[in-house]
Amino acid sequence: MHLSVLLDNLPYLLLGAYPDGPLGGAALTVLLAITSALLSAVLGLIGGVALALTRGLAHGILLAGIGFFRAIPVLMLIFWTFFLLPVLLHINVPGLATVVCALALIGGAYLSHAVHAGVLAVGQGQWQAGLSLGFTRGQVLRHVVLPQARRIMAPSFVNQWVSLVKDTSLAYIVGVPELSFLANQVNSRLMVYPVQIFLLVALMYLLMCTVLDRIAMRLLVYGGRRPIAEQAGFNTSLGTPRPGPI
Amino acid sequence: MNSWLAPRYLAWLWQGFGITLGLAATVAIAATALGFGLALLRNARSRQIQWIASGYVLVFRNSPLLVQLMFWYFGVATLLPEAAMTWLNTPHILALGGLTLHWPSFEFIAGWLGLTCYSTTFIGEEFRSGLRGVPAGQYHAAAALGLRPLAAFRYVILPQAVRISMPPLFGQYMNIVKNSSLTMAIGLAELSYASRQVDTETFKTFQAFGAATLLYILTIALIEAALVVFQRSGARMSHRS
Repeated sequence: MHLSVLLDNLPYLLLGAYPDGPLGGAALTVLLAITSALLSAVLGLIGGVALALTRGLAHGILLAGIGFFRAIPVLMLIFWTFFLLPVLLHINVPGLATVVCALALIGGAYLSHAVHAGVLAVGQGQWQAGLSLGFTRGQVLRHVVLPQARRIMAPSFVNQWVSLVKDTSLAYIVGVPELSFLANQVNSRLMVYPVQIFLLVALMYLLMCTVLDRIAMRLLVYGGRRPIAEQAGFNTSLGTPRPGPI
Repeated sequence: MNSWLAPRYLAWLWQGFGITLGLAATVAIAATALGFGLALLRNARSRQIQWIASGYVLVFRNSPLLVQLMFWYFGVATLLPEAAMTWLNTPHILALGGLTLHWPSFEFIAGWLGLTCYSTTFIGEEFRSGLRGVPAGQYHAAAALGLRPLAAFRYVILPQAVRISMPPLFGQYMNIVKNSSLTMAIGLAELSYASRQVDTETFKTFQAFGAATLLYILTIALIEAALVVFQRSGARMSHRS
């Protein structure tokens, strides 16, 4: 097939108008994904810990707020941020920032539940053990509960980030020149190779998602420091001593 | 900003909502059937079939729906012969026993195809984990009772697997409703498209998006309620037998 046409457009799809103009294409997609992934992780941690620590009315309000973000389509939230942020802040907010905001909020809402579940899964005994050692609640959370919850939460985080990479394509709707936007642009310019162009772009996303999946899983689940309790011969998941070597 | 939308614009939104519901419902039905097939293929004995099925899941799960929709919308038009495209674009009347259906637009067909291919992978994975959630002992017990493999699957494994995969399945139906909003990118006049159009015509941003958002939340809440009802009735039935 007419590979040369695709190859001619490959730098444009990868970087956009970069050396002469603003960064775009796959590079912008990666940038967009990393920024909103980090923000969504922060929001998710805050939301999840808040869910775990609140009771009663505050808990209900928090659940309703998170439920709102989970119930509306990402596209709808992008519309909201795109049109409301400038009104609320009285400044001209670039499309890129509104998309990051929307993606971070949606991702944060989903991750809140993952973090909440992770904190619950660690178990009440760990809290009590930490408190009885003289830690404050914050210290127990920081040094005892969250390190153990990390492994439980990791797959949810990775899944959410992969779907976030895919959702960056929605920035197309508000005219951010990321990969899908440029693909559409190239397609309307060339007119005759839509199949090849969209296959190539889908492949680029596929590559990004699989690489992210592999690296993040390795780092979060298998890598990092082992919990101290486990090194000392305790099975952290149950909190009971593991039978030692005979 | 302080008055409500004129009836004409409400009608637009209402029509858009109808298309969203129609698209989501037809996609949900097709994707459930295909997803079930996909789950069976992933458990097939033949290695090749397993590879093909997992390759399908890998490709359709890890690329954005928007790109897939554009692929179907722009790509299929060039792949299909001219005659097929004119046939697809001319209106046909489907008469199903007293019920006449209007032929959908090409945007609807492309959107339906894209959404179905995408959702099939997710629903297929939910079914697969449901099948894997049935303990191996159930297979052995069914075999020990003298059931043939097919009968064991139909009467012992499947009912349990369906019950396990029901809550995530309904979650996927919610995702289908939400993902249907992406078809506005290929020009299907569904709810998001309609709200955007109302916004550009009236400049009543808050009302237009607010109405659409409420309709989405309402739909998601109804699906959630349907799950609760379904689980209750299922629990009662299994209690009785």
